[in-house]
Amino acid sequence: MHEQLKKALEFANYQQTFSIQRRILKEKIEAKLTYGVNGGFFHIDQILLTFVEMLCSKGRTTGVVILDSNRNPILIDDLEKFRDEIFSRYFETTYEYFESYQVLKKSRSVEKLLEQ
Amino acid sequence: MTQGILIYAHNSRSVDYALMAAISGGLAKKHLNVPATLVTDKFTVDWMKASQIYEMANEIFENIIVVEKPQTNNNRKLYDGTDNAVVPFINSNRSSAWELTPYERTLLIDSDFLIFSDRLSEYWKVDSDLLISESINDIYDNSRLRYHDRYISDVGIKLYWATTVMFTKNTKTKIFFDLVTFIRDNYQYYADTYRFDSKQFRNDIAFSIAKHILNGFEQNNAEDLPPILTLLDRDILYSVDKKLTVLISPMLDSNFCAASIVDTDIHIMNKQSIIRNKDALMELI
Repeated sequence: MHEQLKKALEFANYQQTFSIQRRILKEKIEAKLTYGVNGGFFHIDQILLTFVEMLCSKGRTTGVVILDSNRNPILIDDLEKFRDEIFSRYFETTYEYFESYQVLKKSRSVEKLLEQ
Repeated sequence: MTQGILIYAHNSRSVDYALMAAISGGLAKKHLNVPATLVTDKFTVDWMKASQIYEMANEIFENIIVVEKPQTNNNRKLYDGTDNAVVPFINSNRSSAWELTPYERTLLIDSDFLIFSDRLSEYWKVDSDLLISESINDIYDNSRLRYHDRYISDVGIKLYWATTVMFTKNTKTKIFFDLVTFIRDNYQYYADTYRFDSKQFRNDIAFSIAKHILNGFEQNNAEDLPPILTLLDRDILYSVDKKLTVLISPMLDSNFCAASIVDTDIHIMNKQSIIRNKDALMELI
């Protein structure tokens, strides 16, 4: 099997492995940006964050209905708490994405990429 | 509402599904923080005892439910990298999950689906009685997937993947699982109607048809479980430490490139490569 790995590493060009690592990283980040609450399911993105922040700034903070990722209506009792949770999840996840991506970009060999 | 994981394992001559189920169950229990139950048969239990994994399985699973081993003429070609073998495929009793599960909300997973994140925890409280994975995502890219990985036949409906299924035990889901049983028992009829190859019974197809029928013979784009990140059986799980190192065959031939996976759920179709890495995988439980 060691011979097989050696052959694999020889065959693999850097860009191919980089692409796969990036794809796996994106998959991991996408998973972390999903958020289930009150029977609904939200994908946390800039649109959701902006919309929720806008509602809060307009004073609509209790008993708010928001459409989830499947366009189902979900009642959010405390919108400020919901906002804080999705903001926190978003920033933690995107920061992790940024850090991992920087490491990936700086990895100049297949072996280094595999250390991720 | 009680929540838990359900895994089926019926060993064949070639594949130690019980061992895979122990690994899969242990990882799922650790990362989702819910109990797990194993459904198996007497022969597989005897093998578990002989191979000294029964004690460990008892620690991992809060219940080991012993059922009749399903009779099967089902065979499938399983690859292990470039090698392959035609092996018996004992999978026809999955529709008994509704009867057997001890949980009110169950995550039914295949024994080759390894959970390394809490992603699926987000779905326990989703307001939907039945969730099935809508597709698979090839770890390399989706160009390696075939049409029949997305549809049940050339002219058929969308294929859902029963690798991960989440359901609430209620009258609605009983109808669904009863229908899956009916489709299994009348597989040739449904093969003629939906124009798929009936040579091999596939739960994915039976579940997809049941979902299609209960949606009023229409595709429903509502709630699904997320796509399943998949390592095809032409690829190899090479080694395991804190991460999984995998060898991927971009052209499905004998040339491989490498990648590593960490903190991400992964469906490893190359079952023998899971078995080869059993000790290291057990360390992660």
